[in-house]
Amino acid sequence: MKIDCCGLACPEPVLQTKKALESLGEDAILEVLVDSIASKENVLRLAQNAGYEARSEEREGGKTIIAIIKGFTCNIASDTKADTFLDKTLFLKSDKVGEGELGAKLVVGFLKSTLELPKLPKRIVCVNTAVYLTTADEDSPVMQILKVFEAKGVEIYSCGVCLDFYGVSDKLKVGKIGNAYGTIEMLFGGEGTISL
Amino acid sequence: MDENDDASIYYLDEHRALVQTVDIITPVVDDPYMYGQIAAANSLSDVFAMGGVVATAMNIVGFDSCHHPKSVLKEILEGGASKVKECGGVIVGGHTIQAPEMTYGLSVAGFVHPKKIYRNNTPRISDVLILTKPLGMGILTTAIKADMLEESVVEKVAHILAELNYKASQIMKSYDVSACTDVTGFGLFGHAFEMSFNRVSIVFDIKNIPILNEARAMADMGIIPAGAYTNKAYLSDKVEAKNPHKDEIILYDAQTSGGLLIAVSQDDAIKLVTHLRNEGLAYSTIIGEILPLGAKSLLYI
Repeated sequence: MKIDCCGLACPEPVLQTKKALESLGEDAILEVLVDSIASKENVLRLAQNAGYEARSEEREGGKTIIAIIKGFTCNIASDTKADTFLDKTLFLKSDKVGEGELGAKLVVGFLKSTLELPKLPKRIVCVNTAVYLTTADEDSPVMQILKVFEAKGVEIYSCGVCLDFYGVSDKLKVGKIGNAYGTIEMLFGGEGTISL
Repeated sequence: MDENDDASIYYLDEHRALVQTVDIITPVVDDPYMYGQIAAANSLSDVFAMGGVVATAMNIVGFDSCHHPKSVLKEILEGGASKVKECGGVIVGGHTIQAPEMTYGLSVAGFVHPKKIYRNNTPRISDVLILTKPLGMGILTTAIKADMLEESVVEKVAHILAELNYKASQIMKSYDVSACTDVTGFGLFGHAFEMSFNRVSIVFDIKNIPILNEARAMADMGIIPAGAYTNKAYLSDKVEAKNPHKDEIILYDAQTSGGLLIAVSQDDAIKLVTHLRNEGLAYSTIIGEILPLGAKSLLYI
């Protein structure tokens, strides 16, 4: 897909690129033609912060074509971190998956299975009662699983306000305290968010 | 007359000099009253940057009456008048023309004591720099125009934009300040470069520079107006980074109604910051230090 953003002022090129990227399926390339440094830098910024690979090439008349690769690329992975992790955020809003006793078991089961995946999510964000997971007893199954995530380099954040609300701030045993802004940035920043 | 400074200075006698400045802007928020306040705060700022007090102001309006009812104009002017009143000035008239796009601002006259004028390019080595408002306003007003921010964020931004530099200007007079300017169209680094005047270098600690998180988020998405890139290109051989930082572009972001950039002695710096914060200027922070002139005028770590 190609879009022409020549002659457009910020934020229009970025908005059009964003819209085009959203409309594209996986494994596709979006080409954006721009004619100013600001547009070029902004479109590259958008693509890179959204986790896509992007290349730019100068064209005649001060124009630049930017190729944004959405989906899998055949690059030789130089970044081992990118290799081990999916650019996704696991967003936990509760200490259970669904209701009741089963819900508490399911969350443990789900986290344990996730650990088996070839690529782990980059981050786990816990809000509301999910902060009970990161403040669970040291020898509880869920804490042991979360510690493995942390040891493997997955970033774990617990919502500070939620920790305060449930009075468990002093019991946090794994990961860091996150704030609302950081959380939102993670949710919007990565390639995707999985919520249970 | 001086030509390099924020406002013009005309010496009247040994006790008084006339300070004059004019500025107009197009709307940055939808609310007309708020827009009036912001445009006025933006216009008045140069007087405060020089350490002056406002005497009179005149409205300068380009009004698009095809798209806006008269009541909008009334609200804009009321907003502007409220800010002039806040700093002890009076609106003495003005002029309105028909325009295809709405513009509003003030022509301002004030006074300053000729021996107590703050220049924008006279910092002393080892002074530190204080910034009184957060950066990112150019980015955020662009995002507001594209309707990308929540109402609560828009209100927060509008509130910062409408804040006068009057109080900061009054407060700094009690401290050992060597130079002052307001951060506007050239961005923090553009105005800091002016301040360095090829006589000193300035080092900034980027993690201390107040930047609104919402501006960071928008910058990450690429919502950065062209002015920031123009400012950056202009300073490309003047700036050195120890570690290039993704927020660097925000240091070039053109500010509407930006804060004061104050050079103050090390001894007074903490006292001044504390005083500013206690008076409600909560974003006031020490962001840099003046060094002897090195290879580059501006550095950041």
